[in-house]
Amino acid sequence: MNAVESLPTVEPVLRTHAVEKEYGRGEGLVRAVDSVDLEVPAGETLAVMGPSGCGKSTLLHLLGGLERPSGGAVWLAGRRIDQLSEKALARLRRRAIGFVFQAFHLLDELTALENVELPALMAGSSPRAARSRAEDLLQQVGLGDRARHLPSELSGGQRQRVAIARALSNEPLVILADEPTGNLDSAATLDVLRLLDSLRAAGQTLVIVTHDSRIAAAADRLISMRDGAFVEETRLTHGRSGPFVELAGLEG
Amino acid sequence: MQDPMSLSRKEPSRGYQLGVVQEVLLALLAEDASHGYQLRARLELALGPLSAALNSGQVYVTLNRLEKAGLVSSELVGQADRPDRKVYELTAAGRARVTEWLEDTSWPKPAPAEFHVKLVAAAAAGLADPVRLVDAQRHSLLDGLAAVQRAALAEPDGSVAALLLEGVVLRLQADLHWLEACARYWNDRKGGQA
Amino acid sequence: MGRVLLVCRLAARDLRRRPLKAGLLLLAITAATATLTLGLALRGVTHDPYQSTREATLGPDVVASVAPPPEGAKAADLAGLEALTHARGVVGHSGPYPVVWGILSGHGQRWPVRVDGRDSARAPVDQPKLTHGSWVRDGGVVLEAGFANALGITAGDRIGLNALDLGSGRSVAGSTGRSFRVVGIAVTAASVPYPEVTCLAECAGNTGLIWLTRSDLRRLDARGPSLYVAYLRLADADAAQAFVDDHMFQQRSSCLPGEPCASKSQPPSLESWQQIRAESANLVENERRALVTGAWLLAVLAVASVAVLVGGRMADQVRRVGLLKAVGGSPSLVATVLLAEYVVVALAAAAVGLGLGVLATPLLTDPSAGLLGGTGAPRLTASTVALVTFVALGVAVAATFVPAVRAARTSTVLALADSARAPRRTGWLIALSGRLPVPLLLGTRMAARRPRRVILAALSVAITVSGVVAALSARAGLTEDQLGSASTLNQLSGVGGSVVDPGRVDRLSHVLLALTITLFVLAATNAIFITWATALDARRSSALARALGATPLQVGTGVSAAQVLPAFVGALLGIPGGIALIEAADPDAVTLAPLWQMIAVLVGTVVVVAALTAIPARLSARRPVVEVLASEHA
Repeated sequence: MNAVESLPTVEPVLRTHAVEKEYGRGEGLVRAVDSVDLEVPAGETLAVMGPSGCGKSTLLHLLGGLERPSGGAVWLAGRRIDQLSEKALARLRRRAIGFVFQAFHLLDELTALENVELPALMAGSSPRAARSRAEDLLQQVGLGDRARHLPSELSGGQRQRVAIARALSNEPLVILADEPTGNLDSAATLDVLRLLDSLRAAGQTLVIVTHDSRIAAAADRLISMRDGAFVEETRLTHGRSGPFVELAGLEG
Repeated sequence: MQDPMSLSRKEPSRGYQLGVVQEVLLALLAEDASHGYQLRARLELALGPLSAALNSGQVYVTLNRLEKAGLVSSELVGQADRPDRKVYELTAAGRARVTEWLEDTSWPKPAPAEFHVKLVAAAAAGLADPVRLVDAQRHSLLDGLAAVQRAALAEPDGSVAALLLEGVVLRLQADLHWLEACARYWNDRKGGQA
Repeated sequence: MGRVLLVCRLAARDLRRRPLKAGLLLLAITAATATLTLGLALRGVTHDPYQSTREATLGPDVVASVAPPPEGAKAADLAGLEALTHARGVVGHSGPYPVVWGILSGHGQRWPVRVDGRDSARAPVDQPKLTHGSWVRDGGVVLEAGFANALGITAGDRIGLNALDLGSGRSVAGSTGRSFRVVGIAVTAASVPYPEVTCLAECAGNTGLIWLTRSDLRRLDARGPSLYVAYLRLADADAAQAFVDDHMFQQRSSCLPGEPCASKSQPPSLESWQQIRAESANLVENERRALVTGAWLLAVLAVASVAVLVGGRMADQVRRVGLLKAVGGSPSLVATVLLAEYVVVALAAAAVGLGLGVLATPLLTDPSAGLLGGTGAPRLTASTVALVTFVALGVAVAATFVPAVRAARTSTVLALADSARAPRRTGWLIALSGRLPVPLLLGTRMAARRPRRVILAALSVAITVSGVVAALSARAGLTEDQLGSASTLNQLSGVGGSVVDPGRVDRLSHVLLALTITLFVLAATNAIFITWATALDARRSSALARALGATPLQVGTGVSAAQVLPAFVGALLGIPGGIALIEAADPDAVTLAPLWQMIAVLVGTVVVVAALTAIPARLSARRPVVEVLASEHA
């Protein structure tokens, strides 16, 4: 699956060129995203970090078609999405993009299972197919035994894992996560971290906006943003860990 | 104590050093007197994954030093079918030393000063943008964090190794938080001057 | 005292903070109170005018008439009538006058009329008072004012008259029409004004009333008079009804001792002035009944409206409740605070409704101009004021009592924490909705979150549809009525023209239309408000649905569907409801609105609700997803 990265002719899952987003006018003009060029190849996990207000969330919304850019272009799997109608964007979100939010955004009156099957139902699957896929996904995120619980009966970490299962429902090309651990304590963060890591290992393309350095450290590539623009980019080392004692911080 | 940030400055081929080998040996002897070989085995058991930091001869060298310092005493014990071995045991001074060590609450001091001075120098000399330096350092730390975290995730839950790695991760995280604060500070200063 | 002040201050502040809500509440309750005032004011509105007419026309205490002659007999027997004029208690009389039936043609219309023969000289009892022109003379005819008004005939016009054979329903064979000039228009107290012209011994449905000279009458119908009528004055006017009861069936039993007995003749038929006065009230009876029924309908609808506007908000008052309790307010004080503003609005609505009702009464009570003095100023009796106020308060309290009590009983700690109302979960509905297409899936789930609101929506539509169906049935019934009574005069197929008095139908139709429009406006306001509240409530879940791939159209349709489905159920219930209503309002009513009209109402309701809710639904569906999701709490 990671071999995909080495083929130069394969279209990146996400691509932007000089994409911008502005709010306000005149004196009050704010440039949330300032001419960003980005490419996310298939299977990559990209982490975007930066201080509050640097535009990382806005960039994520632009990538997912939740907002329209003020300038520039966005491509998803080779198809230009920044000029699409609301209807076409909705179809896109149904088929190709999965969202994970900081506030989870589960529906309180639906059980975990019913929450997870929602995108499938919305895409027109039969109820039975949607239900069985939802069960599989919950199993995959380790919540198979909690399928019939309401969100109010689940911990924060469990709720976010349900939300991730929901995002996987329609086998999206990319999952866009906006501060997925922002509302979680450290133990829950670890649970979600493990899940995201397993998704990464399975070849899912992920773009994660985060404050949390642990989540960022799980990515393949890390980009820092400031004032709407990229300032630093690093390919993170993986699989190349030193001897235990070096890691444990002993001086040699 | 060792500073994790000084990993990059390690000297080659001397192996890793564990500074508290002396005290650990004293503690083991407090539990039970042993001869050298046995002591080494017990030490490796106790250290667990950290025992890779031990040099081959380190135990015996350390025992000698301890004896010279009067913290342990040795005795030759005759064996029927083997050569005599030295059995070491703790002296009163040694016991006092161990107790003192255990009750010592000093902690490795965090040392942000050096990096801070680097930023000040860069700003003063106009040689580099402090904010960019901070970003670069952050990314470097994150790279290190990534490696440690990967190892931590590979460990089974509740293992000693996982615990140790968690400690490293959390300290790196703390340093990263501080670096974010530095970025804010130097960014504001830049904005103020502009 | 301090507590009263506190309550007033809090109520005033809350009302001022949300003027739109207060305005809508006022509107809803005022609709009910104004209608009720109108309905109540119509009671007895014809009494004073009748009295004036009676005094001005020397109205009779008893109207006596003798039946037409049986087959074969030569002429009506006047003996009985003569005897009556000398009966005990009678101090004066005029007549007997001859009466024939005719067909009047004028202004392109033809109408059956009762033609009374009179002298040019003034009669001592029942001398109709002229409002225009002069009294009868040869070649001249005087029309009753109500009749002239309905036909649009004025003094100076020419009309044609033919004699009418009531038995066959045809013009009398061999008679020729004659042309007359309308020399005057008059009112009388001896008959209810057109179209409820008093029955004499022989009834002919809704005829007009005209007067000719005796000679003209003879020339009109050579066969001779069909009836004779005499007008009596009694010594004791109030005893008129007793007199009528005594003498009406005299011949059936036996002659009263001491009275001249005319056993061989046909018994005269009698009517007292009190009966005539009561029947005058029938002129507005239909309207009155429609208004009172409409008023109760509107009251129930107002309860639903208030519940819609208030119910959800009460839960938001919870924090305020917590505060009051934490500083020492008793549950009763808290409930009072919550209710106070609605009580104030209700009282205001009662006052406004009373005022509007009084102002509007003259619009409805021109009893065909057949009585002098138009309508008296409608009297606002103490009982009317009390009833209207009671209804207004009742509406307000009914809608707000339960939520207020529930809010007041919340524990202080919970109230201060102010957790938002959790939506309800209906497992089976969620499972069911999974099988529906996406808009319906979203819509049913949205509706299921707030079942109370769904019920109110359905109720609101059911009430409105009941009202419309009842109104349509009433109108159909009125038309049938007129048609039915004219069937005895089936010669009118030859007469042509409409048998239904357009003026009468118009007035009732206007009342029904006004009621229907009021119902509709209130129901529409409810529908829009409920849609808006639903969309607001479902803001997060619809934004989420769009983030997960639902198009704005699907979401908007869903919000609309959440309204349309209850509306459909409500409309279905409203049809039998309307039938029950018309039966209750007018037990004699046998006609129902035709089936096609009911189906049209059903379909129309669904279409209208869909249209009304489309706009708020679309607006809410277009709100940017990010605004809602990116900022909100979990």
